[in-house]
Amino acid sequence: MGDIILTMKDIDKSFPGVHALDHVNFEVRKGEVHALMGENGAGKSTLMKVLTGIYTKDSGSIVYEGKEVEFHTTREAQDAGVVIVHQELNMLGHLTVAQNIFIGREFKKGIGIDDKKMNEEAAKLFEKLHIDIDPAETMSNLTVGKQQMCEIAKAISHEAKVIIFDEPSAALTEAEIEELFKIIRDLRKQQIGIVYISHRMDEIKVITDRVTVMRDGTYVGTLITKDCTKDDIINMMVGRVIYEDPKTQSSVPKNAPVVLKVENLNAGRMVQDVSFELHKGEILGFSGLMGAGRTETARAIFGADPKTSGNIYINGQKVEINSPQDAVKCGIGYLSEDRKRFGIVVQKSVAENSTMAALENFVSGLFINKKSENKIAQEYVESLATKTPSVDQLVVNLSGGNQQKVVIAKWLIRNCDILIFDEPTRGIDVGAKNEIYKLMNRLAEEGKSIIMISSEMTEILRMSDRIVVMCEGKKTGEIGIEEASQETIMNMATREI
Amino acid sequence: MEKIKQNPIVKKIGINRIVLCGVLILMYAIFCMLSDKFAGIQRIMSALNYAYFLGFLSLGVTFVIATGGIDFSIGPVMFCSALISGYCLTSYGVPLVVSLIISILVGMLFGVFNGYLVAYWTVPPFIISMASMNIAKGLASVFTKTQSVSWPQSADANGWYRNFIKIGNFPVGLVIFIVFAVICSIILNQTKAGRYILSLGSNKEAVRLSGVNVKKWEMLAYVICGTLVGIAAIFFVAAYTTVQPGYGDTYNNEAIAGCVMGGTSMAGGLASISGTVIGVFVIALLQEGILALGFSKDYQLIITGIIVIVAVYADVATRRRKN
Repeated sequence: MGDIILTMKDIDKSFPGVHALDHVNFEVRKGEVHALMGENGAGKSTLMKVLTGIYTKDSGSIVYEGKEVEFHTTREAQDAGVVIVHQELNMLGHLTVAQNIFIGREFKKGIGIDDKKMNEEAAKLFEKLHIDIDPAETMSNLTVGKQQMCEIAKAISHEAKVIIFDEPSAALTEAEIEELFKIIRDLRKQQIGIVYISHRMDEIKVITDRVTVMRDGTYVGTLITKDCTKDDIINMMVGRVIYEDPKTQSSVPKNAPVVLKVENLNAGRMVQDVSFELHKGEILGFSGLMGAGRTETARAIFGADPKTSGNIYINGQKVEINSPQDAVKCGIGYLSEDRKRFGIVVQKSVAENSTMAALENFVSGLFINKKSENKIAQEYVESLATKTPSVDQLVVNLSGGNQQKVVIAKWLIRNCDILIFDEPTRGIDVGAKNEIYKLMNRLAEEGKSIIMISSEMTEILRMSDRIVVMCEGKKTGEIGIEEASQETIMNMATREI
Repeated sequence: MEKIKQNPIVKKIGINRIVLCGVLILMYAIFCMLSDKFAGIQRIMSALNYAYFLGFLSLGVTFVIATGGIDFSIGPVMFCSALISGYCLTSYGVPLVVSLIISILVGMLFGVFNGYLVAYWTVPPFIISMASMNIAKGLASVFTKTQSVSWPQSADANGWYRNFIKIGNFPVGLVIFIVFAVICSIILNQTKAGRYILSLGSNKEAVRLSGVNVKKWEMLAYVICGTLVGIAAIFFVAAYTTVQPGYGDTYNNEAIAGCVMGGTSMAGGLASISGTVIGVFVIALLQEGILALGFSKDYQLIITGIIVIVAVYADVATRRRKN
């Protein structure tokens, strides 16, 4: 490890309602690989966005190569030598490798583009990195791994001195990861400072020199990788005090019947061989880090996305679910994590949204019976304590928590017994959150069965009777609330298979 | 202004429609001032003739626009309906009643075709309707061997279909048109079909995830549209007798203009049948006025073009403000 090239000190950043970064410190030395770790929402990405000029910091200082700097655009950061290799590749498939690498700063020849020179320059870059890729090849013909290497080559071509890798290995195969690590070691030798964001604990041990851990927007600490264990890191990641009482024991009787059984469900890369059972009156928590495949699993069960294989049983009967229509007929309701896009029709009223899934029950003859529609909507406004001036109010005018209640009403009016709540409290304020929790408990007591996907550890521990943990599309653990702790869950969520 | 907007009666009718009614009256007054021949029953009857067929086109396309789609084939499909059914009547001796049914069927089939491709193949409606516009034109030309078709005059034995628009000076067409408009309004606002059509125009994915067969309902909007286009064809020939193959596209713009002027949003999810009706009257009066003042039809094309742009811009601007 060489001298310090980058120091971020006391970085503070707030968004409306969220203190995203609370006086965070971070430094990178020349020729080191520095891991940045933390749960979802810990502030890793925000910190890197502040560094590369996507966000402006509220306070704090960034010292780069001995000078205080503030980048206003990613372009400025790039020009200074701070580049980010994104998790999602930003490549244009129909262009060649070289054209992608030099996009926005093409070599010109007269009024045309000098492709020959670009190919030569790209070849030089690849040589430096010991990568074997033809610069004239069309980007879409390359594997994801090779495309990632082109991203790295593009980063190097900016004369990068600090390179940030944002979950670079997520889409790579074993062999490709090996190759990636070879390149990273090469870059380290060239005295480049590397920030490595990843959830894969084993990789952290293999490739990084130091680990900085963040939690809930704060800086927790920095460790030397070879002197610490996986447990040390996990303890730092989750070591918060839980204020709300976690559930200590399951409220589901031992002999509760299985209402939903999912067997070897497969749907693309994000859902691989997932099996689990849901009991009557149970709240089954689905925990995991971002991109673990929980939402994808829920959508596949609900028929919102096609599945490739797997069996679903409802009350012991095998069912075919190929569309949300089928799922709703089976009594499954799905509350999406993205209410505005998938949950509500904003230009329609509370009443109209409430009956959306069960409209046929409110049709007499040819016409919709608005009286009975309004009556049932009003009943649910009262029983869920939805705050709205009337059932004629457009849902666009309601707050997030109340919109959520309208979506819940929709499934209750449809009389669904199995409810999938995907991040039910995302973007909802604390008071409304507690109301949703109470409501979920009440529904479970009444015999509804709930799958609750949540990225908030406290929410998982507070609400679940049992917890399924997923990691990279696979189920990596299942644990009763009695044995569950932040550490055990995080251990499963970061398990390498 | 705010106070007027909050008035319960104004709120119920909609400020937009009240303004549009004002525009209609003002236009009539201006035309009467500019041309001494404008006042009187004759011009109004003539404007109404134009309003009938255009009105049915506009009612139809309102359903499609409510889903967030668009149909640029309505004008040519109307001509195709009139040509095929007219050719059956005049050249093959098909009875008049059957011909009228054929006219409606042709329109409906185009609706089925457009709707199926848009909803089930998920091809953009813009492209589909552009293609079926050409198919309609070509099909009509082939069927009639590129000849124009003249429907029977009122004095002919088969001329009674002209009673659909007027008997003596009584505007029967107006009554029929209003009846259809009321039916459309009921479908749109009080039936399951209308509820789903409007909802999916606003947020299709949310409706799909509610377990609703969105494809079926989206397709239905196009079928309703096609059927009304087939009816429009009957009112066209009842007013203007002769149809020529290869035309009809100019009516697309006018029908869409009538619709968006009335407050139906091109983004989908919001539609007003009463607005469409008033919008159609504005367009019909405009065309009559332009002709009465001695300008060519070309000026009308320019003006309706501008109306579409302004109305759509107004819609986009209101949306942006609300967000």
